[in-house]
Amino acid sequence: MIQAYPLGLFVAFASTGIAFFALTRETDGLHRLLLTDLVEVVTLAFIALVGTDLAEALILPGLVVGASELIALSEIFRIKEGYTRPPTETLQIEVMKTAPPILAALLVCYGIVLSGFSGGAVAGLGMIFYFLSRSPGERFEVIETASGYSWVLWIIAFFIFMILPQYWFFAVMLAGSAILLKVTAKMSLIGTMRGGPNA
Amino acid sequence: MPDIGGADLFVLEFGDILHYFTPYTATLFIFALLFTGLAIASRPERQLDIVFGGDAYYAKQTTLPEMRFRRFMAIACGLASMGAMVSGDLFNFTLFVSLVGITNIGIVAAVKSRHVLNAAYEYGIVAMVATLPLFGGAALVLATTGTLSIPALAAGGYTVPLVAKILLALGVIGEGMAPFYAAKAEMFRAPGAPYVIMCSLSSLLIFLRVVEIVITI
Repeated sequence: MIQAYPLGLFVAFASTGIAFFALTRETDGLHRLLLTDLVEVVTLAFIALVGTDLAEALILPGLVVGASELIALSEIFRIKEGYTRPPTETLQIEVMKTAPPILAALLVCYGIVLSGFSGGAVAGLGMIFYFLSRSPGERFEVIETASGYSWVLWIIAFFIFMILPQYWFFAVMLAGSAILLKVTAKMSLIGTMRGGPNA
Repeated sequence: MPDIGGADLFVLEFGDILHYFTPYTATLFIFALLFTGLAIASRPERQLDIVFGGDAYYAKQTTLPEMRFRRFMAIACGLASMGAMVSGDLFNFTLFVSLVGITNIGIVAAVKSRHVLNAAYEYGIVAMVATLPLFGGAALVLATTGTLSIPALAAGGYTVPLVAKILLALGVIGEGMAPFYAAKAEMFRAPGAPYVIMCSLSSLLIFLRVVEIVITI
Protein backbone atom coordinates (compact mmCIF):
# COMPACT_ATOMS: atom_id res chain seq x y z
CA MET A 1 0.00 0.00 0.00
CA ILE A 2 1.28 3.42 -0.94
CA GLN A 3 1.59 5.75 2.05
CA ALA A 4 -0.71 8.74 1.62
CA TYR A 5 1.55 11.34 3.21
CA PRO A 6 4.72 10.81 1.11
CA LEU A 7 2.57 10.65 -2.01
CA GLY A 8 0.84 13.91 -1.10
CA LEU A 9 4.19 15.48 -0.28
CA PHE A 10 5.50 14.41 -3.68
CA VAL A 11 2.49 15.96 -5.43
CA ALA A 12 2.88 19.17 -3.41
CA PHE A 13 6.58 19.44 -4.25
CA ALA A 14 5.80 18.76 -7.91
CA SER A 15 3.16 21.53 -7.89
CA THR A 16 5.71 23.82 -6.23
CA GLY A 17 8.13 23.10 -9.05
CA ILE A 18 5.49 23.86 -11.67
CA ALA A 19 4.46 27.09 -9.91
CA PHE A 20 8.04 28.32 -9.56
CA PHE A 21 8.84 27.40 -13.15
CA ALA A 22 5.81 29.40 -14.29
CA LEU A 23 6.89 32.34 -12.11
CA THR A 24 10.33 32.43 -13.70
CA ARG A 25 8.86 32.33 -17.21
CA GLU A 26 6.14 34.94 -16.69
CA THR A 27 7.04 38.60 -17.11
CA ASP A 28 3.65 40.34 -16.99
CA GLY A 29 2.98 41.88 -13.56
CA LEU A 30 -0.66 40.87 -13.15
CA HIS A 31 -0.06 37.29 -14.28
CA ARG A 32 2.78 36.95 -11.80
CA LEU A 33 0.45 38.12 -9.04
CA LEU A 34 -2.02 35.41 -10.06
CA LEU A 35 0.77 32.81 -10.12
CA THR A 36 1.80 33.68 -6.55
CA ASP A 37 -1.72 32.71 -5.56
CA LEU A 38 -0.98 29.28 -7.03
CA VAL A 39 2.01 29.10 -4.68
CA GLU A 40 -0.26 30.06 -1.75
CA VAL A 41 -2.58 27.15 -2.52
CA VAL A 42 0.36 24.72 -2.45
CA THR A 43 1.38 26.22 0.91
CA LEU A 44 -2.06 25.41 2.30
CA ALA A 45 -1.77 21.92 0.81
CA PHE A 46 1.49 21.41 2.74
CA ILE A 47 -0.26 22.24 6.00
CA ALA A 48 -3.39 20.26 5.12
CA LEU A 49 -1.31 17.15 4.40
CA VAL A 50 -0.56 16.82 8.11
CA GLY A 51 -4.22 15.94 8.46
CA THR A 52 -4.80 16.51 12.17
CA ASP A 53 -7.07 18.88 14.09
CA LEU A 54 -4.05 21.09 14.70
CA ALA A 55 -3.40 21.30 10.95
CA GLU A 56 -7.00 22.40 10.46
CA ALA A 57 -6.44 25.16 12.97
CA LEU A 58 -3.18 26.18 11.26
CA ILE A 59 -4.72 26.44 7.80
CA LEU A 60 -6.82 29.43 8.86
CA PRO A 61 -3.92 31.77 9.76
CA GLY A 62 -2.06 30.54 6.67
CA LEU A 63 -5.05 31.44 4.54
CA VAL A 64 -5.39 34.84 6.22
CA VAL A 65 -1.70 35.63 5.63
CA GLY A 66 -1.99 34.62 1.98
CA ALA A 67 -5.19 36.62 1.43
CA SER A 68 -3.82 39.74 3.12
CA GLU A 69 -0.62 39.61 1.10
CA LEU A 70 -2.65 39.17 -2.07
CA ILE A 71 -4.85 42.17 -1.21
CA ALA A 72 -1.84 44.35 -0.31
CA LEU A 73 -0.05 43.41 -3.53
CA SER A 74 -3.08 43.99 -5.73
CA GLU A 75 -3.51 47.43 -4.13
CA ILE A 76 0.15 48.22 -4.90
CA PHE A 77 -0.33 46.94 -8.45
CA ARG A 78 -3.44 49.09 -8.90
CA ILE A 79 -1.67 52.28 -7.77
CA LYS A 80 1.52 51.39 -9.64
CA GLU A 81 -0.33 50.99 -12.91
CA GLY A 82 -2.47 54.06 -12.26
CA TYR A 83 -5.85 52.31 -12.19
CA THR A 84 -7.48 54.94 -9.98
CA ARG A 85 -10.78 55.44 -11.79
CA PRO A 86 -13.55 53.46 -10.07
CA PRO A 87 -15.76 51.42 -12.39
CA THR A 88 -18.73 53.61 -13.25
CA GLU A 89 -21.46 51.06 -13.72
CA THR A 90 -22.17 47.49 -12.71
CA LEU A 91 -23.55 44.78 -14.93
CA GLN A 92 -26.92 45.93 -16.26
CA ILE A 93 -28.82 42.70 -16.74
CA GLU A 94 -32.21 41.70 -15.44
CA VAL A 95 -31.09 38.69 -13.41
CA MET A 96 -28.64 40.83 -11.41
CA LYS A 97 -31.62 42.86 -10.11
CA THR A 98 -33.98 40.08 -9.11
CA ALA A 99 -31.82 37.10 -8.16
CA PRO A 100 -29.43 38.57 -5.56
CA PRO A 101 -31.94 39.18 -2.72
CA ILE A 102 -33.36 35.65 -2.97
CA LEU A 103 -29.99 33.92 -3.26
CA ALA A 104 -28.42 36.11 -0.57
CA ALA A 105 -31.34 35.44 1.82
CA LEU A 106 -31.06 31.68 1.24
CA LEU A 107 -27.30 31.66 1.78
CA VAL A 108 -27.49 33.88 4.87
CA CYS A 109 -30.22 31.68 6.42
CA TYR A 110 -28.20 28.53 5.73
CA GLY A 111 -25.11 30.24 7.14
CA ILE A 112 -26.94 31.10 10.36
CA VAL A 113 -27.99 27.44 10.67
CA LEU A 114 -24.38 26.31 10.19
CA SER A 115 -23.04 29.06 12.51
CA GLY A 116 -19.39 29.43 13.41
CA PHE A 117 -16.67 30.04 10.86
CA SER A 118 -18.05 27.94 8.01
CA GLY A 119 -21.49 29.49 8.51
CA GLY A 120 -19.91 32.92 8.33
CA ALA A 121 -18.21 31.99 5.07
CA VAL A 122 -21.50 30.78 3.54
CA ALA A 123 -23.46 33.83 4.72
CA GLY A 124 -20.61 36.10 3.62
CA LEU A 125 -20.75 34.59 0.14
CA GLY A 126 -24.39 35.58 -0.07
CA MET A 127 -23.58 39.10 1.11
CA ILE A 128 -20.72 39.44 -1.41
CA PHE A 129 -23.07 38.43 -4.21
CA TYR A 130 -25.72 40.88 -3.01
CA PHE A 131 -23.34 43.84 -2.70
CA LEU A 132 -21.51 43.03 -5.94
CA SER A 133 -24.66 43.20 -8.01
CA ARG A 134 -25.96 46.40 -6.42
CA SER A 135 -24.55 49.87 -5.92
CA PRO A 136 -23.07 49.62 -2.44
CA GLY A 137 -23.54 53.22 -1.33
CA GLU A 138 -22.22 54.17 2.10
CA ARG A 139 -22.23 50.92 4.05
CA PHE A 140 -18.60 50.68 5.09
CA GLU A 141 -19.00 52.27 8.51
CA VAL A 142 -21.90 50.06 9.63
CA ILE A 143 -20.25 46.84 8.46
CA GLU A 144 -16.94 47.71 10.07
CA THR A 145 -18.65 48.57 13.38
CA ALA A 146 -20.57 45.28 13.40
CA SER A 147 -17.39 43.39 12.61
CA GLY A 148 -15.46 45.12 15.39
CA TYR A 149 -18.10 44.49 18.06
CA SER A 150 -18.45 40.83 17.10
CA TRP A 151 -14.70 40.43 17.30
CA VAL A 152 -14.79 41.81 20.84
CA LEU A 153 -17.55 39.29 21.73
CA TRP A 154 -15.41 36.50 20.30
CA ILE A 155 -12.47 37.54 22.47
CA ILE A 156 -14.75 37.75 25.53
CA ALA A 157 -15.86 34.19 24.81
CA PHE A 158 -12.23 33.07 24.83
CA PHE A 159 -11.66 34.77 28.17
CA ILE A 160 -14.71 32.91 29.55
CA PHE A 161 -13.12 29.65 28.35
CA MET A 162 -9.95 30.48 30.24
CA ILE A 163 -11.26 32.15 33.41
CA LEU A 164 -14.76 30.68 33.95
CA PRO A 165 -14.66 27.26 32.27
CA GLN A 166 -17.91 26.18 33.92
CA TYR A 167 -19.84 28.54 31.60
CA TRP A 168 -18.35 26.89 28.50
CA PHE A 169 -21.72 26.40 26.78
CA PHE A 170 -22.50 30.11 26.92
CA ALA A 171 -19.00 30.86 25.61
CA VAL A 172 -19.40 28.39 22.74
CA MET A 173 -22.68 30.02 21.72
CA LEU A 174 -21.15 33.49 22.03
CA ALA A 175 -18.05 32.59 20.02
CA GLY A 176 -20.10 30.76 17.37
CA SER A 177 -22.47 33.63 16.73
CA ALA A 178 -19.76 36.31 17.00
CA ILE A 179 -17.47 34.61 14.49
CA LEU A 180 -20.48 34.13 12.20
CA LEU A 181 -21.15 37.88 12.30
CA LYS A 182 -17.50 38.79 11.93
CA VAL A 183 -16.73 36.57 8.95
CA THR A 184 -19.96 37.60 7.24
CA ALA A 185 -19.14 41.29 7.76
CA LYS A 186 -15.57 40.93 6.59
CA MET A 187 -16.53 38.99 3.49
CA SER A 188 -19.33 41.37 2.58
CA LEU A 189 -16.77 44.20 2.64
CA ILE A 190 -15.18 42.51 -0.38
CA GLY A 191 -18.45 42.95 -2.23
CA THR A 192 -18.45 46.70 -1.61
CA MET A 193 -14.90 47.23 -2.86
CA ARG A 194 -15.16 49.37 -5.96
CA GLY A 195 -12.02 51.45 -5.64
CA GLY A 196 -14.07 54.50 -4.71
CA PRO A 197 -13.09 57.18 -2.19
CA ASN A 198 -13.77 54.77 0.69
CA ALA A 199 -11.51 52.02 -0.58
CA MET B 1 21.58 19.78 20.86
CA PRO B 2 23.76 22.91 21.10
CA ASP B 3 22.13 25.47 23.34
CA ILE B 4 23.19 28.83 21.96
CA GLY B 5 20.38 30.82 23.52
CA GLY B 6 21.53 30.35 27.11
CA ALA B 7 19.45 29.52 30.16
CA ASP B 8 15.82 30.64 30.33
CA LEU B 9 15.38 33.97 32.06
CA PHE B 10 11.60 34.11 31.98
CA VAL B 11 8.87 31.93 30.50
CA LEU B 12 5.39 33.26 29.75
CA GLU B 13 2.85 30.47 29.35
CA PHE B 14 -0.47 30.52 27.50
CA GLY B 15 -1.56 26.93 27.85
CA ASP B 16 0.86 24.86 25.77
CA ILE B 17 1.97 27.88 23.75
CA LEU B 18 4.76 29.73 25.50
CA HIS B 19 7.00 32.70 25.00
CA TYR B 20 10.45 32.45 26.46
CA PHE B 21 13.28 34.86 27.08
CA THR B 22 16.86 33.63 27.00
CA PRO B 23 19.82 36.05 27.05
CA TYR B 24 19.90 35.70 23.25
CA THR B 25 16.22 36.27 22.52
CA ALA B 26 15.92 38.90 25.26
CA THR B 27 18.69 40.95 23.63
CA LEU B 28 16.98 40.77 20.24
CA PHE B 29 13.64 41.59 21.88
CA ILE B 30 15.10 44.69 23.53
CA PHE B 31 16.56 45.81 20.19
CA ALA B 32 13.15 45.50 18.53
CA LEU B 33 11.51 47.33 21.45
CA LEU B 34 14.07 50.13 21.30
CA PHE B 35 13.62 50.69 17.58
CA THR B 36 9.83 50.57 17.86
CA GLY B 37 10.13 53.34 20.45
CA LEU B 38 12.34 55.30 18.06
CA ALA B 39 9.84 54.84 15.24
CA ILE B 40 7.06 56.17 17.50
CA ALA B 41 9.05 59.13 18.78
CA SER B 42 10.97 60.37 15.77
CA ARG B 43 9.86 62.72 13.01
CA PRO B 44 10.24 61.67 9.36
CA GLU B 45 13.38 62.74 7.62
CA ARG B 46 13.20 65.88 5.42
CA GLN B 47 15.12 65.06 2.29
CA LEU B 48 16.88 67.75 0.24
CA ASP B 49 18.00 67.32 -3.38
CA ILE B 50 20.64 69.80 -4.44
CA VAL B 51 20.44 70.96 -8.06
CA PHE B 52 23.74 70.18 -9.69
CA GLY B 53 25.79 73.25 -10.55
CA GLY B 54 23.68 75.79 -8.67
CA ASP B 55 22.58 76.97 -5.28
CA ALA B 56 18.99 75.78 -5.63
CA TYR B 57 17.60 72.70 -3.89
CA TYR B 58 14.37 70.71 -3.78
CA ALA B 59 12.87 70.03 -0.37
CA LYS B 60 10.85 66.80 -0.46
CA GLN B 61 7.81 66.90 1.80
CA THR B 62 6.29 63.84 3.46
CA THR B 63 2.52 64.33 3.67
CA LEU B 64 0.81 63.70 7.00
CA PRO B 65 -1.34 60.70 5.89
CA GLU B 66 1.70 59.04 4.34
CA MET B 67 3.76 59.67 7.48
CA ARG B 68 1.00 58.27 9.70
CA PHE B 69 0.59 55.17 7.57
CA ARG B 70 4.31 54.45 7.49
CA ARG B 71 4.63 55.05 11.22
CA PHE B 72 1.76 52.65 11.87
CA MET B 73 3.40 50.04 9.64
CA ALA B 74 6.76 50.57 11.36
CA ILE B 75 5.16 50.07 14.80
CA ALA B 76 3.32 46.96 13.57
CA CYS B 77 6.58 45.68 12.13
CA GLY B 78 8.30 46.25 15.49
CA LEU B 79 5.56 44.40 17.35
CA ALA B 80 5.73 41.50 14.88
CA SER B 81 9.51 41.27 15.25
CA MET B 82 9.17 41.33 19.04
CA GLY B 83 6.69 38.45 18.79
CA ALA B 84 8.99 36.51 16.48
CA MET B 85 11.89 37.00 18.88
CA VAL B 86 10.27 35.45 21.93
CA SER B 87 7.80 32.97 20.43
CA GLY B 88 8.28 29.40 21.60
CA ASP B 89 5.98 27.94 18.97
CA LEU B 90 7.31 27.24 15.50
CA PHE B 91 4.07 28.04 13.71
CA ASN B 92 3.58 31.28 15.64
CA PHE B 93 7.12 32.18 14.66
CA THR B 94 6.36 31.66 10.97
CA LEU B 95 3.19 33.74 11.32
CA PHE B 96 5.10 36.58 12.98
CA VAL B 97 7.72 36.38 10.23
CA SER B 98 5.12 36.64 7.49
CA LEU B 99 3.58 39.57 9.38
CA VAL B 100 7.02 41.22 9.29
CA GLY B 101 7.05 40.59 5.54
CA ILE B 102 3.63 42.20 5.02
CA THR B 103 4.43 45.26 7.14
CA ASN B 104 7.75 45.68 5.30
CA ILE B 105 5.84 45.83 2.02
CA GLY B 106 3.56 48.43 3.65
CA ILE B 107 6.47 50.60 4.82
CA VAL B 108 8.02 50.68 1.37
CA ALA B 109 4.75 50.88 -0.57
CA ALA B 110 3.36 53.98 1.17
CA VAL B 111 5.58 56.20 -0.97
CA LYS B 112 3.58 57.16 -4.03
CA SER B 113 6.39 57.12 -6.52
CA ARG B 114 6.65 54.74 -9.42
CA HIS B 115 10.08 53.29 -8.91
CA VAL B 116 9.43 52.75 -5.19
CA LEU B 117 6.12 51.02 -5.97
CA ASN B 118 7.88 48.83 -8.53
CA ALA B 119 10.43 47.80 -5.91
CA ALA B 120 7.67 47.16 -3.36
CA TYR B 121 5.77 45.03 -5.85
CA GLU B 122 8.78 42.90 -6.70
CA TYR B 123 9.58 42.51 -3.01
CA GLY B 124 5.96 41.64 -2.27
CA ILE B 125 6.02 38.84 -4.84
CA VAL B 126 9.16 37.42 -3.21
CA ALA B 127 7.61 37.71 0.26
CA MET B 128 4.42 36.02 -0.89
CA VAL B 129 6.26 33.16 -2.58
CA ALA B 130 8.43 32.76 0.55
CA THR B 131 5.40 31.76 2.63
CA LEU B 132 5.58 28.38 0.87
CA PRO B 133 8.97 27.25 2.27
CA LEU B 134 8.15 28.98 5.57
CA PHE B 135 4.84 27.22 6.25
CA GLY B 136 6.01 24.12 4.40
CA GLY B 137 8.98 23.81 6.77
CA ALA B 138 6.80 24.25 9.86
CA ALA B 139 4.27 21.72 8.51
CA LEU B 140 7.05 19.20 7.81
CA VAL B 141 8.34 19.60 11.37
CA LEU B 142 4.81 19.03 12.68
CA ALA B 143 4.29 15.99 10.46
CA THR B 144 7.57 14.29 11.36
CA THR B 145 7.81 15.07 15.08
CA GLY B 146 4.21 15.76 16.09
CA THR B 147 5.03 18.93 17.98
CA LEU B 148 5.69 22.57 17.15
CA SER B 149 7.05 23.64 20.51
CA ILE B 150 10.65 24.85 20.19
CA PRO B 151 11.62 23.98 23.81
CA ALA B 152 10.25 20.47 23.36
CA LEU B 153 12.13 20.04 20.09
CA ALA B 154 15.29 21.44 21.68
CA ALA B 155 15.04 18.97 24.57
CA GLY B 156 15.92 16.24 22.12
CA GLY B 157 14.34 12.93 21.25
CA TYR B 158 13.07 14.19 17.91
CA THR B 159 14.82 14.05 14.58
CA VAL B 160 13.84 17.10 12.60
CA PRO B 161 14.52 16.45 8.89
CA LEU B 162 17.19 18.64 7.34
CA VAL B 163 14.78 19.55 4.52
CA ALA B 164 12.43 21.18 7.02
CA LYS B 165 15.25 23.26 8.50
CA ILE B 166 16.43 24.34 5.04
CA LEU B 167 12.87 25.26 4.04
CA LEU B 168 12.42 27.27 7.23
CA ALA B 169 15.63 29.22 6.69
CA LEU B 170 14.76 29.77 3.01
CA GLY B 171 11.35 31.13 3.97
CA VAL B 172 12.85 33.61 6.42
CA ILE B 173 15.39 34.69 3.81
CA GLY B 174 12.55 35.33 1.37
CA GLU B 175 10.38 37.19 3.88
CA GLY B 176 13.04 39.13 5.67
CA MET B 177 16.28 39.45 3.81
CA ALA B 178 14.52 40.88 0.78
CA PRO B 179 14.27 44.38 2.31
CA PHE B 180 18.02 44.55 2.14
CA TYR B 181 17.87 45.00 -1.59
CA ALA B 182 14.57 46.88 -1.61
CA ALA B 183 15.47 49.20 1.25
CA LYS B 184 19.06 49.79 0.27
CA ALA B 185 18.10 51.43 -2.99
CA GLU B 186 14.97 53.09 -1.65
CA MET B 187 16.61 54.44 1.46
CA PHE B 188 18.47 56.97 -0.65
CA ARG B 189 15.90 57.57 -3.36
CA ALA B 190 12.79 58.09 -1.27
CA PRO B 191 12.41 60.07 1.96
CA GLY B 192 12.14 57.14 4.30
CA ALA B 193 14.10 57.37 7.52
CA PRO B 194 13.50 56.21 10.21
CA TYR B 195 10.80 53.87 8.93
CA VAL B 196 12.88 52.15 6.28
CA ILE B 197 15.44 51.36 8.98
CA MET B 198 12.72 49.24 10.58
CA CYS B 199 12.64 47.04 7.43
CA SER B 200 16.33 46.29 7.64
CA LEU B 201 16.35 45.86 11.40
CA SER B 202 13.38 43.48 11.47
CA SER B 203 14.83 41.33 8.70
CA LEU B 204 18.15 41.17 10.53
CA LEU B 205 16.40 40.19 13.77
CA ILE B 206 14.23 37.44 12.28
CA PHE B 207 17.25 36.07 10.47
CA LEU B 208 19.28 35.92 13.70
CA ARG B 209 16.34 34.23 15.39
CA VAL B 210 15.85 31.57 12.70
CA VAL B 211 19.54 30.73 12.90
CA GLU B 212 19.08 30.08 16.60
CA ILE B 213 15.95 27.98 15.99
CA VAL B 214 17.53 25.90 13.22
CA ILE B 215 20.60 25.17 15.33
CA THR B 216 18.59 24.41 18.49
CA ILE B 217 15.86 22.10 17.15
